[in-house]
Amino acid sequence: METFVDIATRSINKKGEELCGDHVEVIDRGDRIIAVLSDGLGSGVKANILATLTSKIAVTMLREGADIEETVDTIMNTLPECQVRKLAYSTFTILQVDRDLQTYIVEYDNPPVLVYRDGFILPLEKTEKLVHGKTIHESRFKLKRGDMVSVVSDGAVHAGVGALLNLGWTWEEINLYLLELNRVKKTADSIATDFLGVCNNLYGDQPGDDTTILTLKVRDKETVNLFTGPPRDPDRDPELVRELLAAKGRKVICGGTSANIVSRALGRTLDVQLDSMTPEVPPFARLEGFDLVTEGVLTLQKTLELIRLCREARFRDGEDILAREWNGSTLLAHMLLEECTHLRMWVGRAVNPAHQSPDLPIDLHIKLRIIREIVRELQALGKKVEVSYL
Amino acid sequence: MVVQICIGSSCHLKGSYKVIEAMQRHVKENGLEEAVQIKAAFCLGECTRGVSVRVDEGPVESVQPENVRAFCAARFSKA
Repeated sequence: METFVDIATRSINKKGEELCGDHVEVIDRGDRIIAVLSDGLGSGVKANILATLTSKIAVTMLREGADIEETVDTIMNTLPECQVRKLAYSTFTILQVDRDLQTYIVEYDNPPVLVYRDGFILPLEKTEKLVHGKTIHESRFKLKRGDMVSVVSDGAVHAGVGALLNLGWTWEEINLYLLELNRVKKTADSIATDFLGVCNNLYGDQPGDDTTILTLKVRDKETVNLFTGPPRDPDRDPELVRELLAAKGRKVICGGTSANIVSRALGRTLDVQLDSMTPEVPPFARLEGFDLVTEGVLTLQKTLELIRLCREARFRDGEDILAREWNGSTLLAHMLLEECTHLRMWVGRAVNPAHQSPDLPIDLHIKLRIIREIVRELQALGKKVEVSYL
Repeated sequence: MVVQICIGSSCHLKGSYKVIEAMQRHVKENGLEEAVQIKAAFCLGECTRGVSVRVDEGPVESVQPENVRAFCAARFSKA
């Protein structure tokens, strides 16, 4: 089975600060993923500029093939000097993962990278290197399925100091906590949100420092095929059914008419689950061979809202939010967030004449807009999305 | 007797939820559980005249939340 590198990052700002002094940049070039976490000196605007510059320079130069010496040199010579401390300083950790999971890590002054494999902490062999008077640590190894790599800024290590805990939690305790999280949580984003929630609690909701986590998890590739709306040309209905049958992975139909077409073509009955009906979301149906069959535009609209809610939620992952109701939208949002790394969408553009009324907020353009928004949200989470219009 | 109520996008917005709720209530209050089966259906193809309702294999009829009680009283029976 193919694997997928799931990456997520979450931050909280030092209390009273509008901007975060930590910055993460992630670039997926196709053959290689580069992620950089940088923690700028101080906090607020100044730290934010330092961290943003550092991570942007690193990601851009490495992407274009520069070596680590050149990159560090450029960073050191570009960063503006802090007037208070007479220093140009920003820590960084660079993760680079090739398509075959060969991994290269460069660390400069951030808390050490944490790597977990098979339920244990994976010790890394690090080489010390002096670049322009700065000591960096390099390590190379190959990731495999189930592995997780996390980088945290020092705000995570200091969480709780002088507040809930006398001396904060230690790096060892963070290490064990993340080890356990990797075992129980499936997605990188749910690990990152959970972890930051703990840091925020230790800080008593008054973070004394910018706190960031960058998490990378090697998961199985999970494909969801989502069909919505009949093709503009009814002669292409059979084509749609063929695509559906040939598709690999989970299969979802969003749309009453499309569901009816498929049910007729396959001679399988649609069994509507009345108990899943809520005032906002029509009930979903069961259809043999499909993982979920729902009504179209209203369910998709609500799904989009739920996905946004989960993404905006600062310290709770989607499971909490989606557990509040049981309907087509919560099930679809859960599937797209938790059980999907690759989404393949087939969007039919048949116009339903009955929907062409100013009273009904459900015409084709509205649906196409909702779909575009869902795609954007999922891509922002690092998922691979492909859309075909029929 | 099988009563199908459309829950497609258009019918949902026109009040399928209320129609289904009212029908379920009517069935319960009148002890018609054995005789009348309330089912939901995906798009019945009469989106302009929602909420679409179909009794057994009959034609698709139009019922609104306002007249659903009258519809039940007239059409639902033990037989």
